[in-house]
Amino acid sequence: MSKLVADDGRTHIESNLMRESLVDRRVIRRTHTEGELRILPDVVMVGIGGQSIFDRGKDAVLPLVAEIAAIHGKHKVLLGVGGGTRVRHTMSIAIDLGLPMGGIAQLIGAMEETNAVFLNALLAQHGSIFMQRDHFWELPLYLRNGIIPIVISVPPYHFWEPPSPSGDPVPTHGSDFGLFIHAEVLGMKRIIFVKDEDGLYDKDPKKHADARIIRKTTLAALQANMPEELILDQQLFDAWRDARNVERVQIVNGLKPGMLSAALAGEDVGTVIDKEVAS
Amino acid sequence: MTPERREIPSALAGASLTGHGGVHDYSPISMMPDVKVLKIGGQSIMDRGRAALFPILDEIVAAKSKHQMLVCTGGGTRARHIYSVASDLEMPTGVLAALGSYVPRQNARMLQMLLAKHGGLYMMHDDFEKLPLYFNMGCIPIIAGMPPFGYWEKPSAEGRVPQHRTDAGVFLSAEVLGAKRAIFIKDEDGLYADDPKKNPKAELIPRIGAKELLARDLPDLALERIVIEYLGRARFCHELQIVNGTKPGMVTRALEGEDVGSIIYKD
Repeated sequence: MSKLVADDGRTHIESNLMRESLVDRRVIRRTHTEGELRILPDVVMVGIGGQSIFDRGKDAVLPLVAEIAAIHGKHKVLLGVGGGTRVRHTMSIAIDLGLPMGGIAQLIGAMEETNAVFLNALLAQHGSIFMQRDHFWELPLYLRNGIIPIVISVPPYHFWEPPSPSGDPVPTHGSDFGLFIHAEVLGMKRIIFVKDEDGLYDKDPKKHADARIIRKTTLAALQANMPEELILDQQLFDAWRDARNVERVQIVNGLKPGMLSAALAGEDVGTVIDKEVAS
Repeated sequence: MTPERREIPSALAGASLTGHGGVHDYSPISMMPDVKVLKIGGQSIMDRGRAALFPILDEIVAAKSKHQMLVCTGGGTRARHIYSVASDLEMPTGVLAALGSYVPRQNARMLQMLLAKHGGLYMMHDDFEKLPLYFNMGCIPIIAGMPPFGYWEKPSAEGRVPQHRTDAGVFLSAEVLGAKRAIFIKDEDGLYADDPKKNPKAELIPRIGAKELLARDLPDLALERIVIEYLGRARFCHELQIVNGTKPGMVTRALEGEDVGSIIYKD
């Protein structure tokens, strides 16, 4: 039974953080543990590109929807989508208007949500649900009943988006990062990003014909030699360094049939980035 | 054949947006630069009960006709108890962040009840865009200090207590509103080189730059470390002021813009 302590004018509840400054490094270190609870370890997060897939219309989207319908039941997945060209348009207007960065962050999530609604409409007959943030703890209910949850990808940083390291007004906590954190907090081991390239390249393959694909790498190796132009949010890699749960981030080409299924089956297709070297 | 992307032409069309800069033409507007953003400490003020809190509320009410104030709340000992239990159960940091928002919400509701007759209004993060209405009606909006990151909070490099807590929420509120200064009401005279409650000889630092403060690499800070880091990147909120709310008049003087207490500035 916890007791109350009131010997210094403040009323404390007894705990190992009682009376402590939560900024004190010596205190914070005491909250470290080797293990961490994995809430939904067997679920895989799948992020579908906005610009790379959705903006290409039905010729790109429908085959992917058919593939997701076919793997349904074999794997437990959460789906998330990017916002694509409408996000870029929103930002360029907002930047021109001089809206503060937090204001820009507040705006952009709406465009991702519209793609999530599209995806849900296409997948509904196979059992999907467009999941509001407030329904976070209903995930087990959906998964146990064979329903594919489509989550909101942009994290709810909104007006409180932290200023970016580069000073740029483009919010750095985007949809790739949001899906990563969503997977991490739930203890998921794998995230698969479905894009329109075969994987991660040393430079943007759309601009450079001599770009070389990186097939398999580790987070540390990648961070030591980060490509200038990235296919995923920089913030994702920064957060992954301190993360506990996500072991693998994979990027596959959603324009090529079967790639997502192969990745879900554990094959090393596309680009595989592992947190640690496999032992 | 690869289906083509249907793009809306814009300055950022086709951009990767993954975080590598490149936007040069940007002059942001400040939304509500005159709003005073202040935080009432959890452990330092709320957990002391009425003896500490009522005189501060009196000063806030007295300043109401002069200043537009957004009052933010901290957590305190119950938040520490939650973090302690959650750490013991090895919960992920995002769960701690989501749970850590409950106590500041309770504190905000307590303040609302106390300030109701003076226009105290409890607001949710989703009501942020209604601030102009609240101020025009002469209200004192009160919001939980925790930013709304919740389950989407990043893991911390050390330990599992979330990096963005109520100080971060207060600073980020001031930044997006375009306020120059965020005021933190605590029970110490300002920023010290060590925890003054444990080390009575700790030196008071009345004024220091964010970079200089980070370079000193102090084991303890009066404000969350990440806020000091963000201060260096801020466009609007360039000063963090820490004042002692247990000393009469300090809150009023801080609201008047006086440099009482400690000031950490963007250098």
